[in-house]
Formats: sequence, structure tokens, C-alpha cells
Amino acid sequence: MEAGHCANAWLAVLKEIQNSDGGWGYHEDTQSRVEPTCWALSALCSDRDFGPDSPVLDKARRYLLANQRSDGSWTASPEMTTGNWVTSLACAVLAHEAEAQGAISTGLAWLCQDYPFDSSPWMRFLHNFRRDSHISSHNDSYRGWGWTPRTSSWVEPTAFALLAMQEFKSSQLPPVASRRRELAVRLLYDRMCPGGGWNCGNPRVYGVPGGALVLPTSWALIALRSSSEHKSKALSLAWLEAEIPKINSPGSLAVASMCLAAYGKKLPATKLNLHACSLENLLEDGTHVLAWVCLALNPSRTWPARIGG
Amino acid sequence: MNIRNRQLIPSFQRPPSRVLIRKMADYEHELETLMYESLREFSLPVLGKTVLLKPNLVGLDPLGIMNTHPAVIAATRASFLRLGAERVLVGDGPAMDRDTHAILESVHLDEFIGKLGREFCDLNLDEVEKVVLETRASKLKELFLPKTVLGVDFLVSMPKLKTHHWAGVTLSLKNMFGIVPGSCYGWPKNVLHWAGIDRSILDINAAARPDFAIVDGILGMEGNGPIQGTPKAARVLILGNDPVAVDATACRVMGLRPEKVPYLARAGTMLGHVNPTKIQQLGESVASVRMPFAVLREFQQLVA
Repeated sequence: MEAGHCANAWLAVLKEIQNSDGGWGYHEDTQSRVEPTCWALSALCSDRDFGPDSPVLDKARRYLLANQRSDGSWTASPEMTTGNWVTSLACAVLAHEAEAQGAISTGLAWLCQDYPFDSSPWMRFLHNFRRDSHISSHNDSYRGWGWTPRTSSWVEPTAFALLAMQEFKSSQLPPVASRRRELAVRLLYDRMCPGGGWNCGNPRVYGVPGGALVLPTSWALIALRSSSEHKSKALSLAWLEAEIPKINSPGSLAVASMCLAAYGKKLPATKLNLHACSLENLLEDGTHVLAWVCLALNPSRTWPARIGG
Repeated sequence: MNIRNRQLIPSFQRPPSRVLIRKMADYEHELETLMYESLREFSLPVLGKTVLLKPNLVGLDPLGIMNTHPAVIAATRASFLRLGAERVLVGDGPAMDRDTHAILESVHLDEFIGKLGREFCDLNLDEVEKVVLETRASKLKELFLPKTVLGVDFLVSMPKLKTHHWAGVTLSLKNMFGIVPGSCYGWPKNVLHWAGIDRSILDINAAARPDFAIVDGILGMEGNGPIQGTPKAARVLILGNDPVAVDATACRVMGLRPEKVPYLARAGTMLGHVNPTKIQQLGESVASVRMPFAVLREFQQLVA
């Protein structure tokens, strides 16, 4: 099957497995969650044949708006009462919805006020006296975003927050956003693994270089797409290009493909073909993986806005 | 009775625990037979029940040095089915890499166990349920834990025998970090680090206490574990009906003092037995299989 046909067939499956509340679960017939809903919505919105007024999209947007907390954040699961990293995804996917502008403003404000605690002035002061301060070699003056509020900066949530902000004009963002973006970009470069690429955010532990991983590397590179040229970007892109032929999972290959497309690079030969993946396996890996694959196979994708752009 | 309905019994009210040590030279010979015979010694109440095996799948591991070996997972699953379990699920929520599919491919789990399909649960993505942490060992008051874990009848923690650069050792209790869902708490599950690793281990194990533990020590890891350490062939399997006692025994096999591992010392008062007089040792003696594991400078106080 050709890539385009596959993507169309799988987008139809995405539509079919939407829950009645408008959201998607990580797996078919499971409770709706914000992350898979955002990725499914992104994939469907990126489809040229799918009108913006589609009831599927409308229900999905309503699910997201209904599940925003009063402080502007979104929670990973409906039972949770504290917002977290999925707030970036929700802001990004709702960015161009006229109805959602109020929700987005509060979401972006929440994001910009969510500072990791590990890099607070107090923690940086205490760091000088800690016996284990030699374990990692991070520069704690840089600040990104954590998976959960008031913890530590990590690569993927930082990349997602940067991606979310890239969907907006400066005038739409809180005044502090510009400084936060600057610090976050520096943090990503600081956390790069010595040989290029990123893992979760530990480039060295006890002086031993950490190995990079495909997903964090791809998200970080996509987030850095619009930042100025930097030798670390080139090194990391080279790491990813060398790694792609070895990728053995659809999720990583899909995101890596989107990353290369964002940099105008051709996908090297791979041992796995996305369009040859079985739908059953994709659904087992999760709705988000199915959505990533649909996005990767869709040359006209529109999310994130700057991809391919 | 499933995991969510269990009452916590303090250690002093618990009967002695049973721990079995088996020598096993490699992953290739008679592993399933040995596992089945070993499990039979415990008369486990699994007939017609749903069992969840929780291996340690920490990351991509093409060399088979950091994750619970798939041969051990396969042998355990087959053995529990032979013992009459109705379903034997396998589940984990890897902490450092969210691409669980890639991790499973890297260890070739399918080749050992066949296609698991929905019998494998990525605990990072499972539906969750709020669990109030009654032990309050850490600052966490509650955790959202996978419904699959809370709903099974019998939970088996299956770690690899490893030292750990933050916790000293990572065995069946630390392995339970993997039930905390990444979709809620991230990759890594950093909120647990902020709440204190040692204390979080206690809270998680009190909230979802494994019924049984099987440590894959055929090939372990010493030094800067759990990922960047050095492989160490200890050639043992350590099994038991008390994860605390199993971990304490595993420490002794590694030449370490379990009572000096902060979380194990406290677990010895609330979750199981560390004291060797409360552990009925079966199979090989600790002395006959002891193989000192190197630890980082920061953990020299653990060395016996």
C-alpha cells in the first residue's frame, strides 16, 4: 500500500476509535486522555481532506476545552488534580482555534509560570553544598520544563513547551515567554549527549556519557528547528541520521521521519517501513503512535506549524 | 483478593519468609523446568487467578545486560500457566525511554515468549486509579497507579540483580518504580526522586505489594547501575514469597549488607523481613553463591 493510502486508512481508524466524549484513550475503548487526544487531533487536522468543521474535530476540541483546569493547565488523566506536561500539547493543538483563544491564554500563562524547582535560586545555592553535586554536570542556570510542576527540567517536556510557543506570535505570548524560550533553548544544548542527540536529559552521570535516544532527540531537534544554527544541532542531526536505519519501532521511526522532514532531509533506508506496519501493532503501541505514523506519512501535515515550513 | 484490597501487615506480625536460591549457569538450559520446580515449592495460590509479571525493562538492551532476561520472563510465565493461573500478564512502564515497543524489540521478547498482544501491558499508558499512600514514608500523599496492577490477583516483581547509582541496589522493591505511569509522571518519573527515592520505594510497595519476587541474577550488573554498570555473572536465581527477604538475600549474595540500604532497613520494619533469622533459606546457601559486587564510592558503607 502506498504511504498516502495507508495514512488515509489509518486516519479513518483514528476517527472510528474516538470515544463518545470526543477524546481518545491510549488504546481503543479506554478512557480518554489529553495526550492521545492531542496527537489524534493533530493527525486529523493535518489531513487536507478533513474539513475544519468536521464533527469529529469539533468533539475533540470540546473534549480538550472541557478538561482544562481553572488554573489554565491540563492533566494527564481526568482523575488527576494537578496539571502537567500535556498542557503544552493542548495549547499547541488548539493554537489556531478561534473559540479556544481564552483557554490558550490561560494555558500559556500557566506554562510560563511553571518553573522547575531544581533550578530555582535557592536550589542552586544549596547545590554548592551538596555532597552529590558531582553526579551530573548540568548548568543549573538554564531552565526548561519538567514532566510535572516544580520538579526538574527534562528534554521532552521542554521541547513540547517550545513547540507550543512556536505556534503563536510573540504578541500572543506572556511577556516572560521570550526569556523562557531563550533559557529553554540553552538548556537543550546544555543537556545534549557528548556524541550528539539527547536522552531524557542526563548527558552524563558520574562522568559517564549517557546514550542518546531517538524520541527525545527528534523532539528536541524539531523544537530547535527555528533557532539559530548551532554546531550541536548538526551533530545531533547526524546522530539521528545514523540511528534511523536501526530503528525497530513505528513510534520512533515516525517521529524521526517528521524530524528529518522538518530539516528538509531525506529519510535514509530503514529496516522498518511505516506503511508496511500492521494496524494491529500500531494500535497496541497506542493511539499516539498511530497518530504519529499518520503525521509522518502525510506530506501536507500542518502540525507543528513550522514543520516542513 | 486483588492488590487494591490488601491490608498492610507490619513485619513483626508476619510469619517467617521463605527464600530459595538456585544456581543457574546461563539462560539456555533447563530454565523452565528449574523455574517450575522452584515455584512449586511455594504452593502459590494462583489456580484460576490472574498473575502479573513485572520485569525490569529499563531501556534498549541488545546485549541483554540491563533488563530482566526474556528467557526468565518466558520461563516464569510458562510455569505460572502450568501451575494453573488463568492469565499471566507481563507488564512494565520503562522509566527512561517511552518507546516500550523498541525496548521489547531490542530484547527479542517475542522470540522467547511468542506474541503477547494484549497479554503485555505498557504500564506507562494504562488507565489509572488514585491510591492514597497510607504509609506516608515520602512526601507523596497519593499516586495514580495502573488499574491493571491494582486489579490482578497475584503480582510478581522480577528484577535483575543490580547495583544502583542512587539507591545502592535495585531489586524487587526498587523494580516497582516501574508501575508508576510515565504518562502521568513522565520519563523519568522524576516526582519520585523529588519525594525521595528510598521513601518512595516504601510507599509504592506498601500501596501495591508484590506477592512474590524472582531476581534474575544469572547475569547481573555491578558498579554504576542500573544502566551504565558492568555485567557480572552471579549465576543465580533468587525467589521468595517476601520481596523484602528476597532483596535482603540478594544483597547478601552480592556481598552487601541489606540493613545498610536505607529503604531495605525500613522495609524490614513494615513490609517484610531483612533479619536472616526470619528468613527460611531454601536451595543453595548464601555463602555458597556469594559473589561480591563492586559498588560506587558513595555506597562503600554497604559492603559487608
